Amino acid sequence: MFYRQSGVHHTRYQTARRLWPLPTDQGIVWLLLALAVAAPLYLSDLYLTSYLLPWLIWSAAALSLTLLMGIAGQLHFGFAAVMAIGAYTSIHLTRAGVPFELALIGAGLMAAGIGCIFGAAALRVKGLYLVMATLAMQYLVDWTIINVPAISGGAQATLQTPDVRFLFVPLRGDAMLYYGALLWAVIVTLLVLNIKRTSFGRALVAVRDKDFAASVIGVNPFKFKLLAFFASSFLGGVSGAVLAFCYYQAVTPEQFGFNVSIQLVAMVLVGGLGSVIGAYLGAGFVLLVPIILTNLVAGAAAAGWLSVSSNLLAHIPLMVYGGLIIGFILFEPLGLAKIYDNLRKYFLVWPFRHTQS
Amino acid sequence: MKGFMKGLIGAATMAAVGFTGAASADNNTIKFALLQDFTAVYTFVTDEYNQGQRDYLRLINEEGGIHGHTFEAIVRDTGNEPQRGIEGYNRARREGAVLVDFLSTPVSRAAVTRVLEDEVVMITVLHGRGDASDGQTFPFVFPMMATYWSQAALLLDYIDQERGGLEGKRIAHVYIDSPFGREPVPVMREIAERKGFEVRTFAYPSPGNEQSATWSDVRRFRPDFVVLWGAGGGQAVSVREAIRNGIPQENILSVVWMAETDARTIGTELATGIKRFEAVATGTDYPVMQRLMEKVIEPGHGAGDPANVGTTYYNIGVASMAVAVEGARIALEEFGPPLTGDKLRQGMEMIENFDLDGMMPPITLTPEDHQGGGYGRVSTWNGEAWEAVTDWFNAYQDIVWEEIEKDAAGFREGR
Repeated sequence: MFYRQSGVHHTRYQTARRLWPLPTDQGIVWLLLALAVAAPLYLSDLYLTSYLLPWLIWSAAALSLTLLMGIAGQLHFGFAAVMAIGAYTSIHLTRAGVPFELALIGAGLMAAGIGCIFGAAALRVKGLYLVMATLAMQYLVDWTIINVPAISGGAQATLQTPDVRFLFVPLRGDAMLYYGALLWAVIVTLLVLNIKRTSFGRALVAVRDKDFAASVIGVNPFKFKLLAFFASSFLGGVSGAVLAFCYYQAVTPEQFGFNVSIQLVAMVLVGGLGSVIGAYLGAGFVLLVPIILTNLVAGAAAAGWLSVSSNLLAHIPLMVYGGLIIGFILFEPLGLAKIYDNLRKYFLVWPFRHTQS
Repeated sequence: MKGFMKGLIGAATMAAVGFTGAASADNNTIKFALLQDFTAVYTFVTDEYNQGQRDYLRLINEEGGIHGHTFEAIVRDTGNEPQRGIEGYNRARREGAVLVDFLSTPVSRAAVTRVLEDEVVMITVLHGRGDASDGQTFPFVFPMMATYWSQAALLLDYIDQERGGLEGKRIAHVYIDSPFGREPVPVMREIAERKGFEVRTFAYPSPGNEQSATWSDVRRFRPDFVVLWGAGGGQAVSVREAIRNGIPQENILSVVWMAETDARTIGTELATGIKRFEAVATGTDYPVMQRLMEKVIEPGHGAGDPANVGTTYYNIGVASMAVAVEGARIALEEFGPPLTGDKLRQGMEMIENFDLDGMMPPITLTPEDHQGGGYGRVSTWNGEAWEAVTDWFNAYQDIVWEEIEKDAAGFREGR
């Protein structure tokens, strides 16, 4: 009833292969896009700059990682390092006078290049061993940034992002920074959605499911694993640059540490491996839930409902957060995306009970 | 993108619900945002430091406030994550906070451009950018106590003055492999050149639970003195390794992050004799601490465990808020209410020879110098407590300011 399917007849392949064949889904997507575009009009600067903006950028980063982990099946525990390469490259390029648009591409290429070198390990190792190889990347990149002052920016190890223009528009002010991030999130979303239905995406899925079976049917695992690392690292590098320019406005090595890599993996896993909407939900969960819980608990304490020591008060949100993760894994191991999918399927046939798939 | 806004609206409502109870704005309350890391990296210092800050603000309120104004602390956990710190900062700013203290280097660094734009005072006591001492470049950032550069210079000067001179000595700088660890190196090299001694650097990997490989290198160097540059759990490991490698306790010197807890972890006997930089005196034998005991701790208004009162980090917290409150007092007297970030900045820049009745070195903040002179002293663990072995002094401020100017210029050009 809510997702009316009657009357939707596909008479041409193009309509049947659209990203969202049902009119209701299209409506939701357009509505969300309109809401996102109009966000600076109705959201206060607090929610715009502290919630929505980082959420969009981290979602783009999680999408880049889900392309590699979810679609191509290659585990990566050093993705923060990929973003760091992108962030530092873009800052050094813009400081050297390169236009911002080219610097973004340069950031992507540099991240993709270095990401591929470590991704080459994926050609020989799988699973936990690949985790080790990518962890090595995280630590090597961290070490290099900290120990080469020319990269990190001297004793303070902080680089401010210079003022830049993007397509002749100065990237200044909350709204412009937000639109920069939104544009990148939309581009990555459309790209990943489309990759999933191209021959490239199907080849990645074949490699993920069984690489030697893929090579039997004529998919070259060597080529596609490397391409997966290249594409994902490129997107990750640009996401890192967008994070630096649109959000942090200053980069330090700690912003791209090992814990950030783990958070990214958590975003992908909690959201649902390989799912686009899962990347958004996962990023929202990992990024925003701790903030919201902290504020809720602090609000409860201020209202006098919770009289415990400040140390315990600081840890209650962590406990709840941990409990939530365990809960989600217990009740829906396939992630938040699967919960959304179940809801959607329920309403797809409502008031009847059974779905076809 | 589906479900994206649903989540957003949910999140916004939840946050709004969480906050309705907390916000109550009136003009006679001055709000300080203490958005610190209670759960991740800085846990070794945050609890005691924050407790001292809140107890001091409570003391001022108990004594009737300042010119009819009371203080309110907005306390939140940031988990050392810049995005959480920025969220807390934006929220606190909307609630009217005029001062923010993150006690976290990554968060402070990400907030620098924002506080400069929003005109909110950010205090970066013993963390953050050392070059923020340049008040002309960073008008709203106040390191307020000796930067790491000043601390290194002071420790070396102590060796020079009291421990038989620096000339020809071999000094090992053993540090955690991070920007913080390498920060003092240029200053130490500069002093080494001037005084004619050898300094060599030895890094151990973060977080510093395992340092044995580094220390066998240190032993081969046969240093006369060892300068430790770490924080938290790694500090006790460093001291133990140093002793195990035959370095006498008296020749071990540490950055400011060495407290009672570390001495107990090392072993109170074994730690006897080690030296550290001290920014604020330890203990309760000071008038302000007596007032605190009488009006806040004994009536049971304290913000935490009374056993923490008088510890190293507690007293640093007290001192940080004392300087901020003094700045607010001057600002209210000079410019009148309501207190804004800009008035508070100017008030703090008028602080002269403020020493909290001897509990801290006399600091003078000016529009140019936000470090306050770079004073400190050296103290030693006597088996039970940290005991001062020198008076308050500062050292090689010319070299320190060269470093400050160099980095501040870099910041100006980068913008």
